Amino acid sequence: MRLPLLVIRNQSRMTDLATIAPVQADSATARGPLLELRGICKTFPGVRALDNVSFPIWAGEIHMLCGENGAGKSSLMKVLCGAYVADEGELYNHGEKIEIKSTLDARQFGIAVIFQEFSLVPYLSVAQNIYLGREFPGKIPGTIDRQKIRSEAQRVLGMIGSDIDIDAPVHTLGVAQQQIVEIAKALSQNARILVMDEPTSALSDTETEHLFGMMRRLKAAGVAIVYISHRMAEVFLLGDRITILRDGKMVATVLPNETTPSDLVQKMVGRKVDAIHRRGDNIKPGAVALDVKGLTGPSGISDINLNVRAGEIVGLCGLVGSGRTEVARAIFGADRITAGEVTFFGKRFSGGPDEATRMGVALIPESRKSQGLALIRSVGDNIVVSSLDKLFPSHIFHPGKAAKVAQAMIKKLRIATPSPRRAVQVLSGGNQQKVVIGKWLAAEAKLFIFDEPTRGIDVGAKAEIFALMYDLVENGAAILMISSELSEIVNVCDRAYVMREGIIAGELSRERLNEENILQLGMHHE
Amino acid sequence: MAQGMATLGRVPGVAFVLVALFAIFAAMSPGFSTAPNLSNILVQSSILLLLALPMTFIIMTEGLDLSIGAVLTLGSVVLASVAVSTGSLTIAFIAAVAIGLAFGLLNGWLIAWIDIPPFVTTLGTLGIAQGLCLVITDGTSIVGMPPSLHFFYSGTVLGIPFPLILAAVAYAVMHGILYHTRFGTYVPALGGNREALRHAGINDRRVLAIVYGIGGLMAGIGALLLTSRISSAHPTAAIGMEFDAIAAVAVGGTQFERGEGWLLGTLLGVVTIGVLRNGLNLLAMPSSIQVICVGLLVIVALFFDGVRKAHDS
Repeated sequence: MRLPLLVIRNQSRMTDLATIAPVQADSATARGPLLELRGICKTFPGVRALDNVSFPIWAGEIHMLCGENGAGKSSLMKVLCGAYVADEGELYNHGEKIEIKSTLDARQFGIAVIFQEFSLVPYLSVAQNIYLGREFPGKIPGTIDRQKIRSEAQRVLGMIGSDIDIDAPVHTLGVAQQQIVEIAKALSQNARILVMDEPTSALSDTETEHLFGMMRRLKAAGVAIVYISHRMAEVFLLGDRITILRDGKMVATVLPNETTPSDLVQKMVGRKVDAIHRRGDNIKPGAVALDVKGLTGPSGISDINLNVRAGEIVGLCGLVGSGRTEVARAIFGADRITAGEVTFFGKRFSGGPDEATRMGVALIPESRKSQGLALIRSVGDNIVVSSLDKLFPSHIFHPGKAAKVAQAMIKKLRIATPSPRRAVQVLSGGNQQKVVIGKWLAAEAKLFIFDEPTRGIDVGAKAEIFALMYDLVENGAAILMISSELSEIVNVCDRAYVMREGIIAGELSRERLNEENILQLGMHHE
Repeated sequence: MAQGMATLGRVPGVAFVLVALFAIFAAMSPGFSTAPNLSNILVQSSILLLLALPMTFIIMTEGLDLSIGAVLTLGSVVLASVAVSTGSLTIAFIAAVAIGLAFGLLNGWLIAWIDIPPFVTTLGTLGIAQGLCLVITDGTSIVGMPPSLHFFYSGTVLGIPFPLILAAVAYAVMHGILYHTRFGTYVPALGGNREALRHAGINDRRVLAIVYGIGGLMAGIGALLLTSRISSAHPTAAIGMEFDAIAAVAVGGTQFERGEGWLLGTLLGVVTIGVLRNGLNLLAMPSSIQVICVGLLVIVALFFDGVRKAHDS
């Protein structure tokens, strides 16, 4: 349950800041930082990913790392965990120079990383995944002690208050549970430095609270936590210090009580922007683009009625697991339905996703990496892939024409890529999302269903994605937007439907669209 | 009751197919369900099991080994020619295992370090092994094996046929490796998420190369049974056996992606193919028809699993 998080965090913020900041001077601080980065540089062909980054990480602090897409946060994380070796710069532990040249070096030093991309093996159990590469030896030489792996995994999961079945194969778990396994994996390493990349992005409210509690306990035990987050509330709630990166350079390290969210955002983007730009009030809805009546399906949704008009952004919200994604998939023809009907632009629709695409409907899925993009293919290929029939009616591919379309889209959407031929997988999350949007724009889609469009995207790119969405509707498109971020729904949508346990609990007009009303409808009433 | 249904729902398609085939052949051929014939089926299946076990590992890494049948044949040819020239079965066996292991590690090295796709790599080594068989034998059979060779396929220990003992040991060892060692834990990880292994500080290339090495090693051991079976070596004796090995793995329910695999399923797959071939033999079906039937078997077994999966979701 993610929704009430903002409220809770804001309430607890004052007390927490009072107890944890500023960093206390103790015996550990006298010995110098646990890890000090000095002049770290890392260059990739055409990109200076890290440019002279220097800052200390102290034992017992939560160090927030903020920055836009491509600011260098991920690269920095990879240098810390030994996946990348810095071209220049040095690392010091209590004033002594150390080398981290491999993941093994990093682990031996005591650095554990929670990756945003899950590093889990689908057909191994939860317990096996937690201790992957660190299996306890069994009695017979060469064997592993499966019982000990299980009991230790159970212990670690207990620490975060999770009741995930340790014997379940990971592929049977949902995204949130996989995230917990990922966290448990890092915690189980008894790390001195724990690096987390947006660990809460898929967690429920309770799980998040458990994680935060865990982080505070680790901190008290002297563990340093480097925490990457795009959520301002978390940054201010948890952070002892905040380091801001921009374009691979270090902008500043600040204390949370000496800064404000807007100041932070400004430092991240280098110019003044609103976190979320609210759409103007001059909305002129046109013809009905999507009409759903009585939609019921085996995925747990029942009697869904909703509509979206051209020129409108309509929200679909509710708690995680309330059936939002299932509704989107059923509308798009990706899941079977048992009753009800879907109409696109006045035409009855009963086919599959390919038919929906032909009718001008685009589904922009939550997990863009697995469902929205061919990662190893180029930016250009990904942009034209859904419009090949339109671009090349004679079925003969013309590279020049495709390149022109791709180039135009890259320019229009301001996709930061050195070339249309660059593989999509090297782009940042926000730019990948733009490529998905570009793909459907090229295909001339008129109805866009966005599922968590800003998941894993930082604040500057979020504003850009919303600006793109506003642009779409102003040009006559219709948008159905699913989001767990209440502030996004409230600010971006013209009206919204709230789901609860597979049904539409209610509809909120623009006037009544606020966080309290959404929560009122979305939460279960006994 | 609901519990019972749920349990039934997890029984793989191959088990139903095996029971069905068994019933059909028992009804159609009086000689089928006799004890000597059933023992015969298991003995005949033992060579295939030696290939299908490592093939399961290989497929779990999202790989494939097309060369395994040709390497088995080459092992047999080497074993026979060394046995003839030295008169020592021990040296001959060591030579066969060595050539098998060498081919397996060559596959592994090319796939893991040079990054040549498994299909292409093993297609290449398939050609090399097959060609070497013809070069060594000059296209004819090598005969004149020491009489003691006979034991390994036809002999018994405490009344149990030796090939069965060897197969049982091989299964137990491979099962132990897959489910009770670090190495085995990394096999599904290679297919499921190689990046995760690297992050865990594991040398993923070495693990992958060893997986292919085991394939070659098992083919080398299988050469002993194969040569003993026909008391000679023939350059095309087990050519195409990779087809049955891959089919057995597929029939057993191992998927070709994401590291999903099931060793017991492979055992069932091997026995099912053994039952099918034996039953068709008793019905005097030519081997061409048998190949068609094995092909159909793969599709039928996976058809059941596919239908059920679609039904579940």
